[in-house]
Amino acid sequence: MAVVEMRKLTVIGLNSGRTPFIHELMHLGVVEINSQEGVVNDEEWMPDIFRTSNSADVSRLEADIARVSTAIEAINRFDTQKKPLFQVREELVRKEFTEHMDRTKTETEMNVDAAVMSYKQITDGQNEVNRLKGIIAGLKPWESLDLPLQMKETEFSAVILGTVSSKTKFEDLLQRVLEKAPSAVVQQVSADVQQIYISIICLKEEREQVNEALREFAFNPISFAEQKGTPKEALKQYEIEIEEIQEKILANTRILSDLSAAKKNIEYLYDSLNMRRDRAKIVGDMLSTEMVFYFDGWMPKNAQAEVEELLNRFEFYYRITEPEVDEEIPVCLHNGGFSTPFEAVTHMYSLPSRNDIDPTKFLAPFYFIFFGMMLSDAAYGIIIAVGCWILLKKFKLEGMTYRMIKMFFYCGISTFMWGALFGGWFGDFFTVAAKTLFDTDFVIKPIWFDPLTEPMKLLIFSLILGAIHLFVGMGLQAYMSIRDGRPLDALFDIGLWYLLLIGLVLYGLGGSVGAAMVTVGKGMSIVGAVGILLTGGRNKKGIFGKITGGLGSLYGITGYLSDVLSYSRLLALGLATGVVAKVINTLGSLAGGGIKGAIVLLIAFVFGTIFNIAINALGAFVHSCRLQYVEFFGKFYTGGGRPFAPFERKTKYIKILKEEKNHG
Amino acid sequence: MVESLFSGEFLALSGAAVAALAGIGSAIGVGVAGEAAAGVVSEDPNKFGQVLLLQALPGTQGIYGLLIAFLVMVKVGLLGGNGMIDLTMIQGAGIFAAAVPIGLVGIFSGIAQGKAAAAGIMLVGKKPSELAKGMLFAAMVETYAVLALLVSFLMLNSIQV
Repeated sequence: MAVVEMRKLTVIGLNSGRTPFIHELMHLGVVEINSQEGVVNDEEWMPDIFRTSNSADVSRLEADIARVSTAIEAINRFDTQKKPLFQVREELVRKEFTEHMDRTKTETEMNVDAAVMSYKQITDGQNEVNRLKGIIAGLKPWESLDLPLQMKETEFSAVILGTVSSKTKFEDLLQRVLEKAPSAVVQQVSADVQQIYISIICLKEEREQVNEALREFAFNPISFAEQKGTPKEALKQYEIEIEEIQEKILANTRILSDLSAAKKNIEYLYDSLNMRRDRAKIVGDMLSTEMVFYFDGWMPKNAQAEVEELLNRFEFYYRITEPEVDEEIPVCLHNGGFSTPFEAVTHMYSLPSRNDIDPTKFLAPFYFIFFGMMLSDAAYGIIIAVGCWILLKKFKLEGMTYRMIKMFFYCGISTFMWGALFGGWFGDFFTVAAKTLFDTDFVIKPIWFDPLTEPMKLLIFSLILGAIHLFVGMGLQAYMSIRDGRPLDALFDIGLWYLLLIGLVLYGLGGSVGAAMVTVGKGMSIVGAVGILLTGGRNKKGIFGKITGGLGSLYGITGYLSDVLSYSRLLALGLATGVVAKVINTLGSLAGGGIKGAIVLLIAFVFGTIFNIAINALGAFVHSCRLQYVEFFGKFYTGGGRPFAPFERKTKYIKILKEEKNHG
Repeated sequence: MVESLFSGEFLALSGAAVAALAGIGSAIGVGVAGEAAAGVVSEDPNKFGQVLLLQALPGTQGIYGLLIAFLVMVKVGLLGGNGMIDLTMIQGAGIFAAAVPIGLVGIFSGIAQGKAAAAGIMLVGKKPSELAKGMLFAAMVETYAVLALLVSFLMLNSIQV
């Protein structure tokens, strides 16, 4: 079975053994624990059975985690080392890890504090610098004013500072003010695109008149009550302050980049805290009384032995049962060998529900073929396959990332095979290069045929592949109907369609094989069509319902037509890669032969190839998925399964190995 | 003067031009998707790679247009060293007709796909794990551009010059 068989586990244990047990259970990492929230509704039991939520512990640990993750983020930001393409978890055995944590914990805590502190000082410093820069920008226009800024008046005179719009004529303003207050001294301090900065000194008793005159010009008074000294002095002071803060920031940056040596330990601490948080949190999913605790959950059947061994060791009461018929079971896929990486495709859609079968094994070969056909360039295939192979060798990838890369590795191989069959090696690069640079004719012959010259042949081949793909999907639906004890559904809904569709193909195309084929095809289609007409409405009530039901299902033939035609994209996208490659090569060859020509050709080739691979691999990926999800899955698959999420170590940086060999 | 507008050569070149118009659709589509992408990245810069993939999807129509335009140019000898070959009006008109599907469908499907991609980008903004579904929604639109490309290609391929 490709969907892992699950068993239901129910456990009652002594509270005294709970903490060590949870430790061990996490280490096994094979049991999913169901939340018991809202399970006990009975008034009678409520006072005795409770959920210890541990929320104080959990939130304390959450706060710690947030602090440590801030520290890691801060260190990463100022870490000058190059970051690897994929983050890989470091492998450790359990004892090593605990010993390491004991040894380094105190120091690491201090480092975390230092990192958080430095980071805070850096951000605070940057905010302060921004604030000061704002003030400086406000003071700059007043730089040439040689009055202390805080000065508003002297014994007899008043000082007024402010701005008017740059559209105002200064002369007019000057005249108007002097008319009203002859004692005033009006100065234009500076001007920019928007504003004119003006200082006015006048006798105190004339202040009102001056203000009146200014109002006509929409004068906007400004006060610098908090500033000390002349603008020049203040500006200088602020610049010194900024410099000091910058130095402090720099010092803290250095602290952080020095801490990058301790980053590994901080990451360990992060994972350790996360595990502790998860352990504290899981208790909230259990029920407790004063003496015992209870939980239930799911585990894969093949993990039963080790879980039983653990439970026996703790002398807990447990029961392992098969799931009930209508129970929702968490889904875990397990496919061997070639199919494994294609689980990624199934995952991206939705996991199989209880009634579905795992489609991975069936979609894998088609995905492999379709991707290759759509990209179909031998050289691109080699590049993709080798690239993915290097990634797989260099990084110890896990989970979905591993599956994706492995899948693209296979797809690269497929691309290579189809490319060789259709004669695409960087499009027609070698032909063009030979012609342009050496003036010789050189052609890599396709092993099968060239789709550019015989597109109809490939179109028909694509549609046949599509028909096979659809037939497999329908066959799976028939299998599921029979499995669920509805063989008639399989016969009527799938068998008759097989008859009709194959019949139609024979009727249409069998003539080239022999006249008998056409007759046979005709007979088959008629039987199939009549059968569908009669049985299509069998679940409907009344004569009218049955007739329309039958007609309705026969009309479904348009669906099959569009499904099959959808596979024409195999041809179209394959052509797109080939022709775009050709465009690139032709562009490159336009500069002619010689050294210059060779350089132009090479540049066009390198950039063009990168572009073409990127855009067409994306296309091939998306459209291969589409053919699976829409055409193939549409025939039999519903999805909607809940992924199996065992209680395990969800670590980001380290991977604790199990000392003894366990189930995969 | 008027005759030259109906010459085979001119019609064929107009065909190449019409095919290349598919780029209008891609430009608008990628633009619309890009606006949405910038919005998502402003919230979470880490999603840049994911949304960039989605933004690239409506770009294919332009490539399909280029592809047909290129094949037309190769067919009429514009890209070889020997200059353009002589075409009858019927041949030129045929080439022109062959270019229309991808040119027209490219424009409208590119715009529609751009909108679907933008919606997919919003989806990724909220649920990063659903990238594949967002891509699929946009790819559903592209089907019709692929079909138009195929029609254009098969028509062009069957015209004898």
